[in-house]
Amino acid sequence: MILKKAQATMNNYALNKPVGTEEKTSLWGSIKKLLPLLNDQKERIIVATVAAFATSGLNLLAPILIGHAVDDYIQKGQYHGVLVYSAIIFTIYIAAVVTSYFQTLFMGRVGQNVLFTLRNSVFNKLGSLPVAFFNQNKAGDLISRINNDTDKLNQFFSQSLVQFFANIITIIGAAIFMLVVNWKIGLVAIIPAIFLLVFTQILSPWIKRKNALSLKNIGGLSAEVSESIDNFKVVVAFDRRDYFKEKFKEVNEINYKSAIGAGIANNTLTPTYGLASGIAQLIVIAYGITLISTGHFTLGLLISFLSYVGRMYDPLRQMATVWSSFQTAFASWDRIHAILMLDSDLTKISETKVVSSAHVMEFKDVSFSYPGGKEVLHSVNFTFDRGKTYALVGPTGGGKTTTASLIARLYDPTSGVVLLDGKDIRSYEDGERARKIGFILQEPFLFSGTVRDNILYGNEEYLNLTNVELEKVISDHGLEKLLARFDDRLDTAVTATGSALSLGQKQLIAFIRAVLRRPELIILDEATANIDTVTEQLLEDILKKLPKETTLVIIAHRLNTIENADEIFFVNAGEVTQAGSMQHAVDMLLHGKRAS
Amino acid sequence: MATTSTTIQKKKGSSIVGLLKPYLWPILGLASLAVASSGIGLITPKIISHSIDAFVHGTFVMQTLLVEFGAVTLGVFILTYLQSIVQTYTSERVAKDLRNSIADKIGNQSYEFVEKVTPARLLTNLTSDIDSIKMLIGQAIASLISSVVIVIGATTILFTINWQLALAVLGIIPIIGGLFFFVFSKMRVLMKKSREVIDWLNKVINESVLGSALIRVLNSQGPEFDKFVKANTQAKDVGLQILRIFAALIPVITFVANLAMLVILMLGGHFVIGGSMSLGDFAAFNSYIGLLIFPILVVGIMGNAISQAQASYDRIREVLDAKEDAGTGTLKKELEGRIEFKKVNVKYVEKYALKDVSFEIEPHTKTAIIGPTAAGKSQILHLLTRLISPTSGVIKIDKKPITEYDTSALHKQIGFVFQDSVIFNLTLRENIAFGGVASEADLEKAIKTSELGDFITTLPQGLDTVISERGSSLSGGQKQRIMLARALALDPKILLLDDFTARVDNKTEQKILSNLMANYPAITLVSVTQKIAAVEGYDKIILLMEGEVIASGTHKELLTTSPEYVQIYDSQKSTSHYE
Repeated sequence: MILKKAQATMNNYALNKPVGTEEKTSLWGSIKKLLPLLNDQKERIIVATVAAFATSGLNLLAPILIGHAVDDYIQKGQYHGVLVYSAIIFTIYIAAVVTSYFQTLFMGRVGQNVLFTLRNSVFNKLGSLPVAFFNQNKAGDLISRINNDTDKLNQFFSQSLVQFFANIITIIGAAIFMLVVNWKIGLVAIIPAIFLLVFTQILSPWIKRKNALSLKNIGGLSAEVSESIDNFKVVVAFDRRDYFKEKFKEVNEINYKSAIGAGIANNTLTPTYGLASGIAQLIVIAYGITLISTGHFTLGLLISFLSYVGRMYDPLRQMATVWSSFQTAFASWDRIHAILMLDSDLTKISETKVVSSAHVMEFKDVSFSYPGGKEVLHSVNFTFDRGKTYALVGPTGGGKTTTASLIARLYDPTSGVVLLDGKDIRSYEDGERARKIGFILQEPFLFSGTVRDNILYGNEEYLNLTNVELEKVISDHGLEKLLARFDDRLDTAVTATGSALSLGQKQLIAFIRAVLRRPELIILDEATANIDTVTEQLLEDILKKLPKETTLVIIAHRLNTIENADEIFFVNAGEVTQAGSMQHAVDMLLHGKRAS
Repeated sequence: MATTSTTIQKKKGSSIVGLLKPYLWPILGLASLAVASSGIGLITPKIISHSIDAFVHGTFVMQTLLVEFGAVTLGVFILTYLQSIVQTYTSERVAKDLRNSIADKIGNQSYEFVEKVTPARLLTNLTSDIDSIKMLIGQAIASLISSVVIVIGATTILFTINWQLALAVLGIIPIIGGLFFFVFSKMRVLMKKSREVIDWLNKVINESVLGSALIRVLNSQGPEFDKFVKANTQAKDVGLQILRIFAALIPVITFVANLAMLVILMLGGHFVIGGSMSLGDFAAFNSYIGLLIFPILVVGIMGNAISQAQASYDRIREVLDAKEDAGTGTLKKELEGRIEFKKVNVKYVEKYALKDVSFEIEPHTKTAIIGPTAAGKSQILHLLTRLISPTSGVIKIDKKPITEYDTSALHKQIGFVFQDSVIFNLTLRENIAFGGVASEADLEKAIKTSELGDFITTLPQGLDTVISERGSSLSGGQKQRIMLARALALDPKILLLDDFTARVDNKTEQKILSNLMANYPAITLVSVTQKIAAVEGYDKIILLMEGEVIASGTHKELLTTSPEYVQIYDSQKSTSHYE
C-alpha cells in the first residue's frame, strides 16, 4: 500500500468554552497582544505624543502667566503689562489649538488604522478557516460576536483612546508644572491624588467582589430566563405559566439586591474623587496663604495653582468613567483575538505519488468523525468513473452529505484517503480543486446583489461579459428556460434575506451557477427538493446535455428522484454499499436483503 | 383576557416619561439632592475669593477658611454620596419592576409567540434594554439636573459679582452652544452614514459566515475579501471624517473657554486696577468659568443617553403591547382519545414542515410516527397540544375541533414527553408533579410505571432532593424517565412520546411499555420514534418524510407496500447488528 494512513485530528473550533474553563486574561496581557498591531503606527504615535505634550504644556503655561500678570502688573496697577501678557497668552492659546488638533487627529488616525487592519485580519481569518469552524459555532453567535466586538473596539479606538491618552498627559503635565512652580505646595497638592490611588487600590477588591456577585446574579437571571423561555413548550403544555412568573420574580429579587450592592460600591469612587479635589484646593489655599504671608509665594501664583489643581483632578475623575469602557473594549479584544489565533487544519500537502487511475473520484478506507462526536463514516471504499451518474440514497443522518463534503474537501477524513483523478485531494491547490468539483449545496445561499452577480459568483471566465453575451452563454448551456423564471432576468434583485425569491428559485440559481462553471464532477445534494416536477424534468434535460465526461453525483432521500442513475449507493449508518440500478435497488430492498 | 389586551393597546407609543411616573417621589428626591449638591458646590469659589480678599485686607482668619471650605467640601461629598445611593436604588427598582412586568407578559404568551420573537430577543429585552433604561435613571437624570443648576447658578453668581464682566465672559455660552449645535447636526449625518457603513460591513461578514460552505466550494475567498476591504475602507473614511470634526471641535471649545479666561484677565484686570473689582472676585471669575464648561458639554452628551433609553423602551413596549394568546375554547370534557388530522399544513415562510397531512387514530390504541429527522414528526405532537397552530387544515379530538377545547382542561389530560429532557431547578417531587396537583396515588403510579423507584431510593432526600439541569449528574435515561413520570402524573387520557426510546436502553424500554399497558390500559398512545423494532407491535405506524405522510398501516403491511419503510427497516437491522 503506497498510501500513508493519514492521522488527522480535527481542531476544536468551538469559541464558547464551557463555563468555568475560560482562561483568565489580565488587562496587561490583552494590551500586550494588541502591541503588534501598533507597530506600523509608530510615526503617528510619536507625532501624537509630541503634540499632546505640547498641548498640555501650552495649556498649562497660561495659568502661570496669568499669575505673573496678577502679581507684577494688576497688583501694581500697570495695565500696559496686562495687555502685553494678554497678547502672549493669546498666542499660546492659538498655538495650543494647532497642537491639540494634531494630537486628536493623529491619535484618532492610529485608532482608525488599527481598526481597519484588525477588521481585515478578522475577515481574512474567517475566509481561511474551514467549514468545521462555522459548523461548530452557531452562525448567529458568530455574527453577533464579530459585529458586537468589532463595534466595541470601534468605540474604543474612535473615542475612548483619544480621551484616555489626552487625560493621562494632562494629569502628568499638571503635576510637573505644580512641582516646578513651587515644589512644596505642589507636593501637598498631589498628596490627595496619591491618597486616591491608595484608596482605589484598597477599595478595588471590594468593588470587584460586589460587581462579580452582581454579574453572577445577572448570569443567574439570564440562565433562569433561558431555562424557562427555551423550555416554554413544557411550561405551556403543563399549564404552568405561574411557575415561570414566580421563579422569575425570585431571581429578579436576588439580582436586585446584588445590583444595589454593586451600584453602591461603584458609586463610592466618584464622590471620593470630588472630595479629594476639594481637599487639594483647600490645602493649596491654606498652605499658599501661609507661604504668602511669609513672602515665599504670591497671590497670582496661588490663582494659577488653583487652576492646576482643577486640571489635575478633573481628568482623574473622567478616567474613572473611561476605565469601564476600557475594560469592555479589552474583553472584546480578547474574544476577537481568540478567533485570530485559530488555524486552519485543511492545509495543502506536498504532491503524493499519482496512482494511475481511470476513476475521477475514489474513497480508500475513509473514516470520518466530527470533533467530539461519534464516527459518521466507517472505513468507506468506493469509486466514481468519468461520465457516469451516481446516486447516494439513504435516510437522513446516514452520512450522505458528509460523504459529499469530503468529496469537495470541506473536511479531511479522520483516516483514509480521498483521491481526485488519482491524486490525493489534499495535494491540490484550492483553486484547481474548486474548478474540478461543483457542489450544489442542500441549503442554497445567495449573496445580495443581482441574479447575474450570483450566477457569476466565483466564476472569473464570464465576469466581464455584457448581459447580452452572458445570455448567449446561458442559452448555449440550455439554461435559458431557467433564467426566464426570473422577472428581470439577469438584473433581478437579490436581497440580503432573499425573501423575494422562492426556495425553488434559489436552487435554480445555484444550479445555473454550477453548470456554467463546467466542473468535471457535480454533486447535487437534495438540490431539487423544492423544485416542481416540471422544472425538475427541465433540469434533467440540462444535465443530459453536459459534456459526456462530466460525472454526476445525486443525493436524495426518496427513491423516485434518481431513476436515471447508472449506479446507486446506499449510505446508511456510516457505510456506503453498492445497490446497482434503480430497479435492482428496489427489488433488493423489498425482497433480497431481507431474505438473507 | 380580552380586556387586558385592549387596555394595553391604548398605551402604545408612550414615552419613557410614562414609565417614570410611579417613581415620582424617589426621582424628586434624586433631583433635589442633585440640586443641593451642585448648588453648594457653587459656593467653593466664593469662599476662595473671600479668603483672598480678606488676606489682601489683612482680615484673613485661617480657621474661618478651614471651617467654611471644609464644611462645603464635606457637604458636597455627603450629598453626592446620598445622591448616588438614591439613584442606585431608584434605577434598580425601576429595572426590577419593569423586568417583572415583562416576565408576566411573556408568561401569558403562546409558545408560538415566544418562538417567533425568539428567546434571544426576549432575553435582550430583559437584560441590555433594561440596562440602558437603568443608565438613564442612574446617570442621565442626575447629571442633567446638576448641569442645569451649575450653568444657571454660576451665571447668576457671575452677574452679581460684576455684571459688565459677566456679560463679556458669558458670551462664550452661546458660542459653545452654537458650535455644539452646528457640529452635532453635521455629526448626525455622519453618524447615520457611519451606521450604514457598519451595516454594510456586517452584511458582508454575515454573508461570508452564512455562505461559508459555498465560498469554500467555489474557492472565492479572494473576491469576498475584496468586497470586505471596500466596505472597510469606506468605514475608515467615514471614521476619519468624524475624527476631523472632533479634532477641530475639541481645540476650538478649549480655545473659546480660554478666551473667556483672557477676557477676565484683560477686562477683569482693568477693573481690579481701577478699583471697581477685588482680586478675590477676579479669582472667583476664573473658577466659575472653569466650572461652566463641562456641564455645557454634558447636556449635549446626555441627550444621546436619553434617546438610547427611549429606543430600548420602545423595544420593550413592543413586547408589553403584544397581543396575548388568542384565548381558549370553553369545552371541558373528559377525553376519550380519538384523534383526527384533516389536510393539515404547517408552513414556515417558504418551507412546509407538514404538507397535507391526514390520518385518524382510534381511542385506546397505540400509534407510532416514524421517519427521518426533520420530517415533521414533532410538529404533529406540538399541534395536538396547541403549542403551534396549523397554517390550514383541521385537527379534531373526539370529533370536536381542538380549538373548541379549553386549553387548560386539554393540557391536564394530554401528557407530553418531550424529546429533550427539561428538568427544572426544583425538587424531584415538584419536577414530576409539575403539571399542578397530582394525588399521592397518581404520583406513585407514575413513578412505578417509569421505573424510577430504584433511582429515587439512592437519592439522599428521596423525592425531595433538588435536582437541576445545570451541573446535575443525571443520566440521559434518568432524565427521560423523569419526563415520562411528569406526563403520567397527570393521569392523562392521551400520552404523546417524542423520541422517548432514544435514550432509554432496550430492556428498560420494554419494561416501561409493559408497565404502561398494565397501569394505564385505556390510554391513547402516540409515539414518535426512529426505532422500528420498538413499535412493530403497534396498531398503526405512520411513515413521515419531508412533512408528507408517505405510508401508513401496520408493520406487516408496510413491509410489503413501502420501499422507503423497508429501507429504513433494513438500515436499522444493520445498525443494531453493527452495535
